[in-house]
Amino acid sequence: MPELVLQARGLAKAFASPAGPLPVLTDVSLEVFAGESVSIRGSSGSGKTTLLQQLGGLDQPDAGEVRILAPGSGLVAPRTSLGRGVGFVFQNYQLMPELTALENVALAARIAGVPALSATAAARALLVQVGLGARLEHLPAKLSGGECQRVAIARALVNRPSVILADEPTGNLDERTGAEIMDLLLGVVADRGAALILVTHSREFAERAGRRFVLTAGVLTPA
Amino acid sequence: MPWFLHLALRQLFPPGKRFPAFATVSILGVGLGVASLLIVQTVMNGFGEEHRLRIRESFGDCQVVGAAPIEQPEALAKALVARPEVASASLYAEGPALARNGDFSGIAQVRGIDPTDPGQPARKYVYGGSFDDLDDGRIVLGAGLARALRVRVGDRIEIWSPAMAERAEKGKAPLPAEFEVCAVIVTGFTEVDNAAALIPLRRFREIWNLGPRAHGLTLRLKEPALAEATAARLAATRPELRFRPWQDIKKDFLAAIRFEKTMLFFLMFIITLVASFSIGSTLFSAVIRRSREVGVLAALGAARWEVVGLFGLQGLLIGALGTLLGFGLTWTILSFRDGILSAINGLFGGGDMVANVYQFSKVPLHYDAADFVIAAAFTLLTTAIAGLVPALWAAGRKPSEAMRDA
Ligand SMILES: Nc1ncnc2c1ncn2[C@@H]1O[C@H](COP(=O)(O)OP(=O)(O)O)[C@@H](O)[C@H]1O
Ligand SMILES: [Mg+2]
Repeated sequence: MPELVLQARGLAKAFASPAGPLPVLTDVSLEVFAGESVSIRGSSGSGKTTLLQQLGGLDQPDAGEVRILAPGSGLVAPRTSLGRGVGFVFQNYQLMPELTALENVALAARIAGVPALSATAAARALLVQVGLGARLEHLPAKLSGGECQRVAIARALVNRPSVILADEPTGNLDERTGAEIMDLLLGVVADRGAALILVTHSREFAERAGRRFVLTAGVLTPA
Repeated sequence: MPWFLHLALRQLFPPGKRFPAFATVSILGVGLGVASLLIVQTVMNGFGEEHRLRIRESFGDCQVVGAAPIEQPEALAKALVARPEVASASLYAEGPALARNGDFSGIAQVRGIDPTDPGQPARKYVYGGSFDDLDDGRIVLGAGLARALRVRVGDRIEIWSPAMAERAEKGKAPLPAEFEVCAVIVTGFTEVDNAAALIPLRRFREIWNLGPRAHGLTLRLKEPALAEATAARLAATRPELRFRPWQDIKKDFLAAIRFEKTMLFFLMFIITLVASFSIGSTLFSAVIRRSREVGVLAALGAARWEVVGLFGLQGLLIGALGTLLGFGLTWTILSFRDGILSAINGLFGGGDMVANVYQFSKVPLHYDAADFVIAAAFTLLTTAIAGLVPALWAAGRKPSEAMRDA
């Protein structure tokens, strides 16, 4: 039995709107185990990003709770495991524009408390692994979309989190680059022994995950 | 180096950008504010110092007077000079008299002094003629008085003293004392220049029937700055005499200079405050522009205080660099002050105020370390607050919200 790395129970979230509260998540429960990959599909506006934010601790659900395995600390609230237990990959890459590729990845390690030298060494190794060994000193503005997403993937992995939350990581990329990024993401995440929760529009990419869900009407149903 | 300091530096001075506009403009704003504050303070200090020096030169570091004329002034001078604090003592007597040149007359504050004393302050303010020519038949006049009497160096004037009125009462014909003007002085103190008349003490004693007495002594002290304490100590040994330190002699004038300086400090401080506010608003818009990045930092596990540090440090860095720039600007501008002043005079035709009104040959300066420390402390404090307010706002936002911002 593989180790439990993420556990969500009865998540609910509604947003205030002029026409009263708008329920986005009504009752979401999910368990993810070490090393597995899970995909979540759903139409635009169905609440996929909202769900990832609750899972990763960027927002507090109205009801329910989430636990994430933080190495060395056991299952903890996601907010306290940010950057250690969980790593994010966003659709828009979200790199720091003033930092080079190497510094962007090292930054995540520095924030987690890793000394500068080891952070840089770990960042360099990961960037080489994602195929950017020749782009270490480039600023994000000088990188292509696919290259930026590779940097973002390296950044998400640098602290060896137990789970990666990827929010439409290929959404801004052309088909071919998207496929390359999917290959890389699935490969490198598996290589590091992390679990992957992949939110995507694409049925094709969703099919590549070990378990598949669809988010409709605020509920997660197996596909 | 903590990561947020590294990132703060990168955000202020983005790599690959030749001209960091945001940082440059903000630092320049603070620098100009600090420089205007310090330039005004340093020049004000200079004027104050110059005035203090003149007061000391004109009146001595400490005046010694009694309720009546001092009976044996030479002996007193000797006794005082024997004290370690006292550098020199010279006798004087003074009193008003009528000065006359034919149809022109004026009130002269005649002062009897020792013309051989090399430390006589009037020597420094000679405008025409020669102080060394002063003898029993000659007189030194303030420029204003000389003008009122229509006399120049070499002309003759009469002096009528109150003692002459006594002679007239006794039925003797009063005869004025005659003097040849040997020098004209300009001190810059109007009331001195309009009335001063210097003659040898020996002649004064004759004209005023003083005998061997004198009205007082002026002392030069080895430590003029400690004149107040020294005067108190000397007074304790001679309770029948009054010892007035120079700080007491023109008290209101000195207080006015200090007050002026304080007022100008507040005016100029407002300028630096304005600069800090503009930093606050630019930092605020920078923080809003970086909303998403704040959310990303939170997603990477950054603590709130670290995000506060990231933006607060940018305010502080701008403040620190601006302060340094302000120090440099102050020094540079003040080094070229005379050229700048004559350029201004040339442009606006204001005439040379410094020479004409203040009688200073140069704009006086006095760098006071305390001004620099205070300016730096105030600036760092205000820019830190200017950076801290948007920093606290940024750190207080939910990362999920921040990341939805475009
Ligand atoms: N902070 C918010 N305030 C109000 N409404 C929000 C907020 N965040 C998301 N929503 C709404 O919640 C719904 C789900 O949004 P989102 O999770 O971004 O969907 P998806 O990622 O599946 O496209 C949308 O209707 C969106 O308008
Ligand atoms: Mg979304």
